[in-house]
Amino acid sequence: MKNRRLYNKVFALGIAGSMLVTATGCGAANDTIGGDEVKAAGRDITVTLGRQTLPNAKLPDGDTYEDNAYTRMLKEELNVNVVDEFEANGDDYDRQVSLALSSGEIPDIMKVTSKDDVKELYENDLIMDLTDLYDQYASDYLKSVYDSYDGRALDNVTFDGQMMALPGTNPDAGPSEVWIRSDWMNDLGISVDEDGDRAITIDELEKVASTFKDKNPGKAEKPVGMAFAPWLTSGDPDGTFSINSIAYALGAFPKTWMEKDGKIIYGSTQPEMKEALARIAGWFESGLVDPQLGTRTWDDITALLSNGETGVTFGTWHIPDWLLNNVRASDPKATFSSYAIEDKDGKVYCKHNDATAGYIVVSKKCKNPEVVMKIANLFYDDLVNDKDILKKYPEVAKYQKDGVDGSTRPFNIEINCSTSLLDDYSDIKKGVNGEISDAEVRTVESGEVIKSVRNYLADPEKAEVADWARYHSRMVGIELMNTLIDEGKFEWITPVFPSTTPTMETNQANLDKLEEETFIKIATGAVSVDDGFDSFVKQWNDQGGEQIISEIENSLK
Amino acid sequence: MKKKKRNGLELTYHLMMLPGLLFLIIFSYIPMVGIIMAFQDFVPAKGLFHSDFVGLKYFRYMLGLNDIWEVLRNTVAIALGKIFIGTFMAIAFSILLNEISIKLMKKGVQTIVYLPHFLSWVVLASVVVNIFSLDGIVNRILGSFGIQALNFLGNPAIFPKLIVATDVWKEFGYNSVIYLAAITAIDPGLHEAAAIDGAGWFKRVIHVTIPGMLPIILLMAAMSLTGILSAGFDQIYNLYSPIVYETGDVLDTYVYRIGLVGRQYSFGAAVGLLRSLVGLVLLVSANKLTMKLTDEKIF
Repeated sequence: MKNRRLYNKVFALGIAGSMLVTATGCGAANDTIGGDEVKAAGRDITVTLGRQTLPNAKLPDGDTYEDNAYTRMLKEELNVNVVDEFEANGDDYDRQVSLALSSGEIPDIMKVTSKDDVKELYENDLIMDLTDLYDQYASDYLKSVYDSYDGRALDNVTFDGQMMALPGTNPDAGPSEVWIRSDWMNDLGISVDEDGDRAITIDELEKVASTFKDKNPGKAEKPVGMAFAPWLTSGDPDGTFSINSIAYALGAFPKTWMEKDGKIIYGSTQPEMKEALARIAGWFESGLVDPQLGTRTWDDITALLSNGETGVTFGTWHIPDWLLNNVRASDPKATFSSYAIEDKDGKVYCKHNDATAGYIVVSKKCKNPEVVMKIANLFYDDLVNDKDILKKYPEVAKYQKDGVDGSTRPFNIEINCSTSLLDDYSDIKKGVNGEISDAEVRTVESGEVIKSVRNYLADPEKAEVADWARYHSRMVGIELMNTLIDEGKFEWITPVFPSTTPTMETNQANLDKLEEETFIKIATGAVSVDDGFDSFVKQWNDQGGEQIISEIENSLK
Repeated sequence: MKKKKRNGLELTYHLMMLPGLLFLIIFSYIPMVGIIMAFQDFVPAKGLFHSDFVGLKYFRYMLGLNDIWEVLRNTVAIALGKIFIGTFMAIAFSILLNEISIKLMKKGVQTIVYLPHFLSWVVLASVVVNIFSLDGIVNRILGSFGIQALNFLGNPAIFPKLIVATDVWKEFGYNSVIYLAAITAIDPGLHEAAAIDGAGWFKRVIHVTIPGMLPIILLMAAMSLTGILSAGFDQIYNLYSPIVYETGDVLDTYVYRIGLVGRQYSFGAAVGLLRSLVGLVLLVSANKLTMKLTDEKIF
């Protein structure tokens, strides 16, 4: 199950990766191409890199991570040669980094995957302060991208007032959306969301799920009202198959560290969480929630959806692309609407992601540290905003069209504006409505989406599954977020993202087990809500939770 | 002269043992050096000989984990269940199978009961889940008798029994091979003598077959005792869920989840060492015990 969650995350990253060509709406267009100065000096610069790779990056034959269209462009534009000191996939890469770290020999420029690593490198005095380089060399556009996170991005890499890494950005994923079979709602003549603001109440959710269960529009042998994954809650706001949307609407933020009245609190142990679990337990008892809750796996729930046994599910905006597409594949009539769940005051709570993911650090021994900012300008500004650059480097354009993975760029991070999703959406919407021509669409990806959406709208019943999926993820999934913003429904929570504390290292896994085990027992009625939750809170505090909280508080001082 | 010749002969035999011995040294003895990892804060970059020694830190950490006793209890309970019921089933099956005189039938049955042994738990788990889920075949049958459907895989009281039962089902056929061999090694004269003395089939099984098999039974049981702290990772990992942690979480799955959080090499080594130690102690005591009880030595 953990694997699945990991898979889910990896998938989300993949989706994010596929949007690497995404242009963003913040900031003005580019200024000068950053390389002139270095190039003018007329000397070859060689930097050594530590690079995290992907097993199947779809590189054309003959190209490697060290020598590909991107590195050749880098050589041409900036006269910079890259030599990979080490390359490794996924977790192996982290191992390489800790090896390098403990030997004290790191490459000139290296990606690290966690803030903890940056901190450790900083404390061992191995990496360079980038503050001045950033001020001096980073393009205005790049700065505006980081600024779109209201300082949350750069704060993450600032130690004692010094910027110690160039962070990759991690835009918000939005809420966990409630996906409801709209074709079933039409057949049964039921409707929700009378005011059209795309936010429904928990009661409305309950009404739809119980009508589906009673009327059984999918003609299933045993219809299921709502099914959830055994882990119930997710630390990601948009966690698929989680109860997050219901919990958030009740003011509970599971698996979240937050600051409240100057103190750190843990969302899963708050009274609101008890209320959320009570809700699920009540539904379980009345039969509205899957009687096999707890043993129903990820694949089982997907099967419930595709077999028409359940018509309500929960997940991130892009599940139509890779999960709900199975439903459409087995039932050509299937369509979904998506909603957010609002609290009693009509607000939709959502949580910010940690603003950064992946970090580029520069060795103290690096001779040309300004190269870092220039590479960043080239790949995350020029390549995005300057249409001519693709004409100059047709092989780079081909890479993007063929979907060669973004990790083949010298830095395997993404630097996108916090609103990049919505900017893409507005582009796509304009394209679909014919307000802008196909040439004006900023990215290849968006162009493809527009084609799909048109195909789908021309004949929804006969459209390809892929067209159906793209329509649903963008014009339903992202559209929901857009509407919620327009209607002013969002209420954003900014969690605390602490680095790993000593007690977390030793006790977190245990605490997670306790939490997962207790929550599922409460939900399935194996223990009562009151006793179960109260003793959970006590045990959680006793078994290291309290200690972790005080460690986090100290680290923030 | 005579003596010398014999020595020459022995040398050839010893040479024939050499590849196996080398294999054993390279893959079993040399890696034992790694045991010191359990007493260090092992950092790969520093290597085995330069990492800091921390004594029993990881053992204390392990025994200090909140759920370790619950987990150890589950492990031992499930492992013992598998050893005893599994051994019993294999013995009973081999005795019964030995009675079949039609060769084709005997071979056919044997092949059929072997088969599950060769399937991976990853595959079998989904079969088990299908059979025992709420709308699976078992619950349908129970339902036709008016019995309330049971969530077998989500019920802490039933889960460990299901683990033992499915494992026994998977392995008893394969494990019976060695007992079948033991039965064939029993002198048929003993059976004939017993029959002449008026012993029925059952009496003969009790007084001839089982005593004849006893050394093998004891050997197998003692050997399997060494595995008392491994209750079958792949089986349980593929079948359990948080609902049944309280009775189904075993040392391997627990360590896997805890260890996954950080790459805790030293912790992993400590758990492995503890498991080997417990295995060794059990094996030696089982050996002593069998010597006392039957005058048979395992080694």
